[in-house]
Amino acid sequence: MATSLARISRRCVTSSVSSNLIRRYFAAEAVAVATTEAPKPKSEVTPSPNRAKWDYRGQRQIIPLGQWLPKVAVDAYVAPNVVLAGQVTVWDGSSVWNGAVLRGDLNKITLGFCSNVQERCVVHAAWSSPTGLPAETLIDRYVTVGAYSLLRSCTIEPECIIGQHSILMEGSLVETRSILEAGSVVPPGRRIPSGELWGGNPARFIRTLTNEETLEIPKLAVAINHLSGDYFSEFLPYSTVYLEVEKFKKSLGIAV
Amino acid sequence: MGTLGRAFYSVGFWIRETGQALDRLGCRLQGKNSFREQLSRHRTLMNVFDKAPIVDKEAFVAPSASIIGNVQIGRGSSVWYGCVLRGDVNSVTVGSGTNIQDNSLVHVAKSNLSGKVPPTIIGDNVTIGHSAVLHGCTVEDEAFIGMGATVLDGVVVEKHALVAAGALVRQNTRIPSGEIWGGNPAKFLRKLKSTEIDFIPKSAENYSNLAKAHAAENAKPLNAIEFEKVLRKRHAGKDEEYDSMLGIVRETPPELKLANNIEPGK
Repeated sequence: MATSLARISRRCVTSSVSSNLIRRYFAAEAVAVATTEAPKPKSEVTPSPNRAKWDYRGQRQIIPLGQWLPKVAVDAYVAPNVVLAGQVTVWDGSSVWNGAVLRGDLNKITLGFCSNVQERCVVHAAWSSPTGLPAETLIDRYVTVGAYSLLRSCTIEPECIIGQHSILMEGSLVETRSILEAGSVVPPGRRIPSGELWGGNPARFIRTLTNEETLEIPKLAVAINHLSGDYFSEFLPYSTVYLEVEKFKKSLGIAV
Repeated sequence: MGTLGRAFYSVGFWIRETGQALDRLGCRLQGKNSFREQLSRHRTLMNVFDKAPIVDKEAFVAPSASIIGNVQIGRGSSVWYGCVLRGDVNSVTVGSGTNIQDNSLVHVAKSNLSGKVPPTIIGDNVTIGHSAVLHGCTVEDEAFIGMGATVLDGVVVEKHALVAAGALVRQNTRIPSGEIWGGNPAKFLRKLKSTEIDFIPKSAENYSNLAKAHAAENAKPLNAIEFEKVLRKRHAGKDEEYDSMLGIVRETPPELKLANNIEPGK
């Protein structure tokens, strides 16, 4: 009942703005009303007839750019939907979880020993950092980067925990044994001192960490390392999808 | 030598057949817990019944992105890895030279509390940072949406405005031209300096160039990928600095050269 209603309302909406011209007129008019400028005609979009809507290969995990090839250690777990592009090095015992994107196309990205980058993170490195220091992203050993974080040209020293959904901007430095709360936004160039708990948007000092808490930090990284071992053992060293590809091509009559 | 080569070829085939048979045996041993790999069913450009995306031929769309429904992407724009542009209930228009960075989400509303249903319109030369969430908003030309920002229904980000990283811009806010808004909920922070205003279209252009390199790399067929792997291995030991110290000038193979305009400094 609800779905048929939704379908009818969708058809009404689309029929009222079905033609391209009408849509463009509305958009132009809205812009004109808003900014009192002459509306610019929207340039024509020329689609290519060759664009693949579906690639049976899916997204490649490791994308080399020019001479740079992302390097993954033999016992590091990198989930199949991760994209590693450019100058990325994933060192031993570390793990990169589902949906993360590590784009080292402008600068280097290093993921240290036993560190982990959890689900859906984006790690990028800018071309230059506002601090003037090299703008590579360095995630040192025993660091846990929580899910949905965004790291851009930052340096994370050994044994830290970055909370989920946190945003670390260019040039920020998280010193050793500190914890960033979930959802914190670290402005560019900010230094989080050692052994402290920071959080908030923008990140502010909350309290210092007790000794017991600092001892727990590498234990978390090691625990995630053990977990990633289970995931790692689920995957064969080489995929057997080539059999499916051969079957597929044979069914279409393409020479294998 | 012909017979020797043929002998090696047959032996290779026997070993592969044995391996495949062993693989099937292993699957049977694993029983119901065995995993058989399938071809990727991820559809980069997906149409919902009759609403198909229209993507310009010079736009870069990463294979892991999803462009669904009524989406139009102009020339020179780029949609990076893991993005989702869902034009299923309304339309999404992306101008030219715009870049929508990794893991972002651009969606449209069919209905919202105020009753108006704006389509999402993103202008030319806009930079939308990583993991941004745009929902039913209008972003005018040469605006900058910082990474992790959430821009809700009915928001208009005017030309040369900047939404700071991690900001949450609530419904129907208007971000005036030349200002930086940030925080949760988004408030006015400061005005943009003129150097920063000039930087915005430059960054869009840098991204366009970077997108071309990624587009070329992602579109490569298997032969090219394997060939370059071999080239890279052979070239791995050659360090440019050491060579220049020795006075050697070595030519990197053209397949391994990146375009000059990728790094903004050049």
